[in-house]
Amino acid sequence: MTLMTNPVYKREIRVSSRSFRLALVLLIFNGILALVALLNMYSMLTQVRVTAEIQYSSFLDLYLFVAVLEFVMLVFIMPAITAGSISGERERQTLDLMLSTKMTPMQIVMGKLMASMSTMALLIVSSFPILALVFVYGGVTMKDMGMLLLCYGAAALFAGSIGVCCSALFRRSTLSTVVAYAVLGVIVIGTYAVNQLALFFSRMPGGAYLVSAGMGTGEGSSGGFLYLLLLNPTATFVMTMLRLSGREAAEGRVTQWFGTHGESFLSRNWVSSSVVIQIIMAAALVWVAVRAIRPGKRFHK
Amino acid sequence: MLKIRNLRKLYGNYHALDGLDMEIEEGALYGFVGPNGAGKTTTIKIISGLLMPDAGDVEIDGIDALAQPYRLKEKIGYVPDYFGVYDNLKVSEYMEFFASCYGMEGLTARKRSQTLLEQVGLGDKLDFYVDGLSRGMKQRLSLARALLHEPVLLVMDEPAAGLDPRTRLEFRETVRELNQQGMTILLSSHLLTDLTELCTDVGIIDGGRMLLTGSVEEIIEKIHTSKPIVITVCDNIQTALSLLKEHPLVRSISVKEQEILVQFSGSGRQESQLLTELVQSGVHVRGFMREPGSLEAVFMQLTRREEERVVLSYDADDESGL
Repeated sequence: MTLMTNPVYKREIRVSSRSFRLALVLLIFNGILALVALLNMYSMLTQVRVTAEIQYSSFLDLYLFVAVLEFVMLVFIMPAITAGSISGERERQTLDLMLSTKMTPMQIVMGKLMASMSTMALLIVSSFPILALVFVYGGVTMKDMGMLLLCYGAAALFAGSIGVCCSALFRRSTLSTVVAYAVLGVIVIGTYAVNQLALFFSRMPGGAYLVSAGMGTGEGSSGGFLYLLLLNPTATFVMTMLRLSGREAAEGRVTQWFGTHGESFLSRNWVSSSVVIQIIMAAALVWVAVRAIRPGKRFHK
Repeated sequence: MLKIRNLRKLYGNYHALDGLDMEIEEGALYGFVGPNGAGKTTTIKIISGLLMPDAGDVEIDGIDALAQPYRLKEKIGYVPDYFGVYDNLKVSEYMEFFASCYGMEGLTARKRSQTLLEQVGLGDKLDFYVDGLSRGMKQRLSLARALLHEPVLLVMDEPAAGLDPRTRLEFRETVRELNQQGMTILLSSHLLTDLTELCTDVGIIDGGRMLLTGSVEEIIEKIHTSKPIVITVCDNIQTALSLLKEHPLVRSISVKEQEILVQFSGSGRQESQLLTELVQSGVHVRGFMREPGSLEAVFMQLTRREEERVVLSYDADDESGL
């Protein structure tokens, strides 16, 4: 069964396209992006009028600003969309009806996840005109744009699969949404906090061995904890954005984050490695969701 | 059509099913009765492939249902005790969605949906939103949905719950028609009168075990023969008593003035023979009647809880002591 013939996917798309909510989300999402972009552009042009100097890096900042805002919104919206997907079916008492048909749990979970991904894709595509403002002045290549899209896709898939997994594990949508945001918070803030703590301890007198023992490369670094950031979509996004305009050379080396680390295959291919890891994690979460709704193998809270 | 052997299901320490055996013949309309928590819904969910048992065998139309759940779903139509509807979805779209869940697409799905909706009396509601339908209409829609893939066994869990008397009657007629068209139906209900009038076979379950099963006639007959015959005589009571004592089908006799209560294990024909014998021996019989039995009475008797039994037996002893 392909995506286009997946009944759950087709129904979700049909219902969401009919609902007022999607139009509202699109309006708010693009409205915020457009407002921020236009205000930023206005401020730059005002500056040009005052100083009679055109700083082209400002236009790049505009792109960065819009891209960051879009990323933050995507990561925040995705769990909200997916965390009620399966628990909502359960609350409507339609999950058992679907499971009593020839639909497999995998088809149901994938239909739900892909429908949410399609909504995300719609949000991303609809924001292209705003992101494309930067092309008027140049400074961003198609490759950069492609990398950004890849990063968005991986982050949305990862955040979405966290939502779907929580939705399958918990009976109530409210609880599922809270847990999904908590898990995402642990991944985004927790991995950063662990590295900060590790760095802090390593810089304490005699504390270096805590971090460097078996993992670290020297004093004053977070050691192997750095690689926890591979799970963090924000770290991937930051690396993607730092590639722009040669910033990568200055501050974009992941080995310079949280102290000085040695080079490795993962640090050299940070973005692609983290994207692959996030996709693998997403697949694992989907597998858990499938197991959770499989008849006779339920372990709801 | 359906064979269940030694089915067991444990929820923690609670035995929802404790060695359930059950058999439904092809073309039967089987009434599945039991008090709350007896194990009806668990059994139905296992039959429908929504729950795996801890032990036991389920065979449906020759298929090992537990080993081949995917093939099982082609055979079963499931109507739960709730409706399960989507907001923002029309009746036709709801049906086409579930048709696509069974692999039917396009014109085939539309035609099949339309035929079934007309069959259940919703042919003119195609463009109505599902969540706007009345309870009775939702139940009929649920029935139409369950029939989309032409199942061989229709499993209905308390389908008449919450319906008003008229809608229940209409729903009952639809179920009867389906059965007359040859469909095997398993129907769980609390409404024993409905089952008595509608079903060909009945099974009474409690504590996860089948207490009594058979055709409705057989069960009624069993209930009937368990009731005493009350014989009222005008005179010659001694002649009547001596004749009854000699009769091989009489199990016990008790006398209260001119009334004789006889536990008689014979059939209706044998009852009439007994009456003839009494009259021919010169006993003037004024009344000869067996108390009518009912499915309700046997249900209450069979599903009486252990603690109730203790209380009742204590009361009985107490009375006998007086």
